[in-house]
Amino acid sequence: MKNPLIKRVPRELIRDWHKYLVIIIFMVLMIGVISGMYVGHDSMLAQINAGVEELVLEDGSFEITRKASDKMLEDIAAGEKADVRSFFIEKGIKEADKEVAAAVDEKLREEVNAAIEEAVRTQCDAYGISDEKTIREQIDQAIEAGFEDALKEAKGSEEYRKAVDEAYEEAHEEVVRAVDEKWDEISKRYDLDSEVFSPAAVKIYEHFYRNEAEDFDNDGKQDATVRIFKTDSQIDKAVFFEGGAPVADDEIAIDRMHAQNAGVGMGDRITVAGKSFKIAGLLSYVNYLTLHEKNTDLMFDAFGFDVAMLTPSAFDRLDSRIHYNYAYKYCTAPEGKTEQADLADSFLKALITQTLVYENELEDYLPGYLSQARNFAPSDIEGDSTTTSILCYILIGVIAFIFGITISNTIEKEASVIGTLRASGYTKAELIRHFMSMPLIVTILGAVIGNILGYTLFKTVALDLYYQSYSLPPCHIVWSKTALIKTTVIPFILMLVINLTVIVSKMQISPLRFLRHDLAKNKRTKARRLPAWSFLGRFRLRILFQNMPNYLVLIFGVVFIELMLCFAFGLPDSLEHYGENAGDMVFAEYQYMLMGSTDEDGETIDTAVEGAERFSAKSLMYEKNTSSMRMGMGSGGDESVTVYGIEDNSAYVRLGNDVDENAVYASSAFIKKFDLAVGDVIKLHEEYENKSYEFKIAGQTDYDGGIAVFMKNEDFNKVFEKEADEFSGYFSHEEITDIEESDIATVITSEDITKVTNQLIHSLGGAINVFKYVLIVLAAALIYLLAKIIIERNEHSISMVKILGFENKEIASLYILPTAIVVVIFSVLSFFAGYALMLLVFKIFVLQMDGYFAFYMSRQSMVLSVVYLLIGYALVSLIDLIRIRKIPLDVALKNVE
Amino acid sequence: MNKVFLEIRDLKKSFGTGEAKQDVLRGMSFTVDEGEFCVLLGPSGSGKSTLLNIIGGIDTPDSGYISIKGDKLEDMNEKQLTAYRRRHLGYVFQMYNLIPNLNVKENIEVGAYLSEKPLDVEEVITTLGLQDHKYKYPNQLSGGQQQRVSIGRAVVKNPDILMCDEPTGALDYKTSKEILALIEDCNKKFGSTIIMVTHNEAIKDMADHVIKLRDGVVRHNDRNEKKLTAEELEW
Repeated sequence: MKNPLIKRVPRELIRDWHKYLVIIIFMVLMIGVISGMYVGHDSMLAQINAGVEELVLEDGSFEITRKASDKMLEDIAAGEKADVRSFFIEKGIKEADKEVAAAVDEKLREEVNAAIEEAVRTQCDAYGISDEKTIREQIDQAIEAGFEDALKEAKGSEEYRKAVDEAYEEAHEEVVRAVDEKWDEISKRYDLDSEVFSPAAVKIYEHFYRNEAEDFDNDGKQDATVRIFKTDSQIDKAVFFEGGAPVADDEIAIDRMHAQNAGVGMGDRITVAGKSFKIAGLLSYVNYLTLHEKNTDLMFDAFGFDVAMLTPSAFDRLDSRIHYNYAYKYCTAPEGKTEQADLADSFLKALITQTLVYENELEDYLPGYLSQARNFAPSDIEGDSTTTSILCYILIGVIAFIFGITISNTIEKEASVIGTLRASGYTKAELIRHFMSMPLIVTILGAVIGNILGYTLFKTVALDLYYQSYSLPPCHIVWSKTALIKTTVIPFILMLVINLTVIVSKMQISPLRFLRHDLAKNKRTKARRLPAWSFLGRFRLRILFQNMPNYLVLIFGVVFIELMLCFAFGLPDSLEHYGENAGDMVFAEYQYMLMGSTDEDGETIDTAVEGAERFSAKSLMYEKNTSSMRMGMGSGGDESVTVYGIEDNSAYVRLGNDVDENAVYASSAFIKKFDLAVGDVIKLHEEYENKSYEFKIAGQTDYDGGIAVFMKNEDFNKVFEKEADEFSGYFSHEEITDIEESDIATVITSEDITKVTNQLIHSLGGAINVFKYVLIVLAAALIYLLAKIIIERNEHSISMVKILGFENKEIASLYILPTAIVVVIFSVLSFFAGYALMLLVFKIFVLQMDGYFAFYMSRQSMVLSVVYLLIGYALVSLIDLIRIRKIPLDVALKNVE
Repeated sequence: MNKVFLEIRDLKKSFGTGEAKQDVLRGMSFTVDEGEFCVLLGPSGSGKSTLLNIIGGIDTPDSGYISIKGDKLEDMNEKQLTAYRRRHLGYVFQMYNLIPNLNVKENIEVGAYLSEKPLDVEEVITTLGLQDHKYKYPNQLSGGQQQRVSIGRAVVKNPDILMCDEPTGALDYKTSKEILALIEDCNKKFGSTIIMVTHNEAIKDMADHVIKLRDGVVRHNDRNEKKLTAEELEW
């Protein structure tokens, strides 16, 4: 026989449906949102990973000046380094031999001529001929008659052969010396002579493109740069959201995200390279998940940059230069980051040497793992969701406590029934199971409905957020184990543990005490003495004392509400604040990162701009402590730290005298993000090498724009084994115009920082405001639940005072006023608690991503967050008033014992 | 010779300490035979409810012992006591203590669920005259009807012993007699041993065995030669 007590559960659900509805809506919303986020997250990552094979994602690409011959591609594909030295020596010798031969021939002719002339002059002198004209004629005749024989004779002489051999030898030595000198420089720069080399065999794909001007509103002005590939490409393929690859020569397929930003769609016409094209497809290229035009760009630009596809014939009809870009895939895929880096390094060596021996020029080389366009979105997606999970767990915790307190009240109300059941033989375990069933059933119900919504509605919301930001492919929904654990297993365990603790502790009382309604654990022998207030005042105070446990939960709930409101108000405030303070996030108005410290000719890149100052920079990794939530658990990777080498007495970054090779200044962002302090020792390591460095933090630099450490340039060059005069770029207050564009990798200005914020605001779009209002509604609903508990608990007393003749407004003042006082006092105090908690939650959130983003809340928002809570409570009090009026008189009469 | 079902020996129990110490049971001894209808009679404060609670295993004596069918309750731990109550006892309280959101039938099933050999629920409902009310909730019933349900819940277990604590204390004369008749029926029909606590002197006449308590001790321990039916009782 089934335990008949279970029949109470659905009835209890129906009887108090509005309370459970609010709780279930709460859980469904939170679980749905989290589930949707994880489903969207996992599905998108699964799709991106699937694209690697399905869409033949490159392992890297390189661009050369001229189209490569089949033989050159074959040699590059083999992955072996070419013997550049021998090639150049051989080439040099051939050229030198030609030059030597010509020079020797000319010299010999000169010498034979001179010998004939000298012989003729001697003869003329002997014959007494002194007329120069006659002598000249004699010389010419002699040369004409005997030059060839004389030349032949001279060439046959031992002396001549010796001289020629010496000339060749000298020339060859010169060639070898010149080649060696040049080779030393190149091999040193690219570490070509390193013994650590394993051939990286690849398969190479032609993947040419052109960069053209795009005019998407056809007003004759360029709106964006579009990178055009051909439809017949066998690598880095695209998937289509709408339409397909262009078929006709006047058709084009463009990036979906760009089309959305540009406000164009299927069938619209855009102008590319002065020609009109009809949009036949909206696509997502597997290697352009974000629209980074250059890999060194700080942020992608989905407005000003586009990727597109044309038919091969339409591509050929364009006029701009073709970028001879080749993509490659490794024959044996590397495993792990280090192997990826090693392989990419080996391939680069092969590529440089082969390009040299084929007398081509390498313009660009980008291994896949370093590509921003393909890695930025996945790594950003990977770091999401943890904060929302934390908020979900806190909420489930609050709901569990609400259940706990409700059940505790029910147990008190039904004490005699419980006593009877226990006296009749019901075990504690049976009753605990019975009281546990409601919260667990509600949790499962919330989880099931939440997950259904997660897999349907909210996953679309999550994916839309991604699609608002990135050029991601359309994706199929996958089963998410993480979603199940985070939205069902953990909330279920939380609910189980919290309620079990409450119920088990409540059930420890003997059946007899239940029968006697003697449930108090701490028996006070005397009633609390109260101050000599009015009767109603003392009555209220008694109510306050009597409901202390309920008020504790109410306070806990109010703190959580304030946490939610801080999040709702603080997130948009923080973004806005970040944008407004973008100027403080850079050291200088302009920060130029150079391709190297020397130009093509080996000359140091210099500028005449006054105040410009050299700096060095290098990226290292700081290991996050993934076993601690507060130190980076769930972040999925280490933190990237920029190490700056700064000039002495820098006008841009102030360093103390206490910095040296082992001591650095850390940016304020670094210190705040990881709770570091001056004197701490940090360990930074290379991302793609087994090499690490330890630095003591000697001081703090006031810089919130990034995770960075600073040292003197000379120390930087020593530590990282650079040349003494090497540097990475310039800080400048003014724009630098005297450095070749080709030498500049990227320029960072405060506008770039603003661009990042704008992109974030654009990505989050209206979602922030929707989220804000949802949180406010949730906050009001939570107060409703908490206030309801207090009225329910006092139902019997309220009924009794009604019988005694108290009016409704008097009763309201007795039972609502203490709650109101508690809410008002604690809404202010809870703001501070909620704010502090929010800082902690935000810190954890920031730890999941790279970089630093400070939480900020304006004073107006701070005040509003308390005001909204009070307005919510005022509305709930009105409902309470109605509730009090509805309590019938017979509640007290029926159960009097 | 009747078989002894319950044996109580020198049972003592007090509440409070020091000056506030109150001896409620002061060395109480008696036996109850199997199938007997035993009434514990006494004024308020005589210790009858405390005694009933100790017999029911929901309270413990300070000294002395109780044995049921030879098993001493003092040797039992909490789990065993629960099992004892589950197997042997049925409880009827003055205030019914029904579960508010279970209907009549389900409240009776609450008792049936505990038993390995429950009576037929429908049959109990019919016996108790609750056929027309079986789908009603407790708050739709009169006090007498609620007490019938409470008896049904206890009886349906087919308990060896039915403990009734002032079962008519909250009822009017007519309803009280009906309830007593039901308890009498249960005693006859199902052979349950009944221990009823009451302060109503008249009820003693329907019992096999009457134990009068005062100030925590047994003042009289009599067996009725002739007993009345519930119908014949007057007070």
